[in-house]
Amino acid sequence: MKATFKRTLAIAIPAAITAALASGAAQARDPFDKEALDKQNAQLLELVELGYNLWHGSNPEMSSNGLACGNCHPDAGASNPQTFPKYIQNMNRVVQWGEMVNWCVQNPQAGKALALESKDMTAMYAYAMNLHRGLPIQPGLAAQQTKPIPVKYGKGFPSKPSGIGFDTK
Amino acid sequence: MDHKKDRREFLQLTGKAGLSTIVGSAAGINLGVFDLAHAQPGKKVSPFRFAMITDSHLYSGEDHKFDRQLEDAVEQVNNMEVKPDFVLYGGDIAQNGTEDQLAKGKKILSKLDTKLVLIPGEHDWYVDMGGAWKGMFGQDTWSFDHKGVHFIGMNSILVPDFWTAKQMSPRERMAAMEMLEGPIGGLWGVGEKQLEWLKKDVAKLSPDTPIVTFTHSPLWDYYPRWNFQTVDGPQIREILSKFENFTSIHGHVHQTLYNKVGNMTSIGAMSTSWPWPYPPVKLAYPGSQMNRADPGNEVDGMGTLSVSVKAGGDKLAEYQPFAESLTPFLKKGLKA
Ligand code: HEC
Ligand SMILES: [Fe+2]
Ligand SMILES: [Fe+2]
Repeated sequence: MKATFKRTLAIAIPAAITAALASGAAQARDPFDKEALDKQNAQLLELVELGYNLWHGSNPEMSSNGLACGNCHPDAGASNPQTFPKYIQNMNRVVQWGEMVNWCVQNPQAGKALALESKDMTAMYAYAMNLHRGLPIQPGLAAQQTKPIPVKYGKGFPSKPSGIGFDTK
Repeated sequence: MDHKKDRREFLQLTGKAGLSTIVGSAAGINLGVFDLAHAQPGKKVSPFRFAMITDSHLYSGEDHKFDRQLEDAVEQVNNMEVKPDFVLYGGDIAQNGTEDQLAKGKKILSKLDTKLVLIPGEHDWYVDMGGAWKGMFGQDTWSFDHKGVHFIGMNSILVPDFWTAKQMSPRERMAAMEMLEGPIGGLWGVGEKQLEWLKKDVAKLSPDTPIVTFTHSPLWDYYPRWNFQTVDGPQIREILSKFENFTSIHGHVHQTLYNKVGNMTSIGAMSTSWPWPYPPVKLAYPGSQMNRADPGNEVDGMGTLSVSVKAGGDKLAEYQPFAESLTPFLKKGLKA
């Protein structure tokens, strides 16, 4: 990324400002070039993949009974992060997505909650968000919150299934 | 826990209720809406009832919550007001296909006080290609006649060999099949051999014989990405197309589900382990969707199924949820 920082000298010449705004040139720096964007996206995808693995049981701390998110939320169904913050009946208050995740970690999975700012939580969020971005936000049936994913059978993300269902005992 | 309360109320009710009365919607238990006593005996079919338990996904180790949920299902069926003549187990006894998990399932299911028939699910099969399952439960393809109805069980979770080329160990093969999403093993079905067997099995039956098939997966293309399908479903439906009354009952989807394709009525059963969200598919009969599960209730969205077969071969399928999770439409039962 080029660290250019164009100061817009918005003084004295109102006409120039107007022109600059109209042409979109009033930004702080150049747009990211392709190389920079690719790097950023690669980082995000890496996290999405980590999220996929966690979703399927790669962190044994998150479960003491063998269950992983993927058991009950295939393709991150019925867990749309875009519907949060929202009121959750069990907790009788409005919670953010990560709190609901931790609720499922601690209850159905009888596991240890993740820190809300942890890399693992961000990764899970990245994965779930990746499957839901752009879907209409509605609190209705889970069906409306599961996005069909255009991958061929047997592909998915490149990583191997990591531990879903493997007994840790 | 809600569930305990549900069960206590349920037992009370069954204790009080007379034969073939409406047990009704109290405690979410939906039994006995159909009055067997008034059914007219038909020419060939005499009325009876059977029950279905499926998808218990038992893990290894002691005192797992899924063990208790299967035990509850067994108790629920044992306490049915009108006793079922037999119980069908629809597959996925085990989670990881290991012998100890299958044996645990066998032990719990042995508490049923009626005859049990079983078909396998993918979670039962891929450690040793059905070796342990067959050793405990017998054939995976079978048929029998009962009170005028012809029942067929088939193994619908067979995939072509994907493991040899990848040099996978038995446990790796099983893990690959455990994945619901984007199945690594590809789409499954019953295969050529069972299709041939089916042709022979029904060749001599007259078209007015009511047919009930049991497979782990639905015989129609519901959501292939989660293997909510059977690749040779169309061939099976073709072989059975001459029958006037054909009902397919399946597990695997962990949700209430209803469809009609040609002469086939298809009914999906709830699991005893966990409910699945509905995949993004428009259902022809959206009324057959159960309510969204409450994550705070460990057994919401789960239960068993019972089917009353009336004189003439008509069937009424009723879900028996562990907790209140049925819509008013579903509480009336599904005519099959
Ligand atoms: C044993 C089953 C089970 C497991 C395992 C499980 N959950 Fe859940 N979860 C549920 C059920 C049931 C619901 C309620 C379903 C619904 O809202 O349709 C739910 C609800 C949620 C919700 C709220 C959905 C909404 O829109 O209100 C989120 C988010 C969630 N789960 C995330 C997770 C994550 C992440 C994991 C893994 C750490 C996980 N769950 C593990 C059963 C499970
Ligand atoms: Fe299952
Ligand atoms: Fe299954």
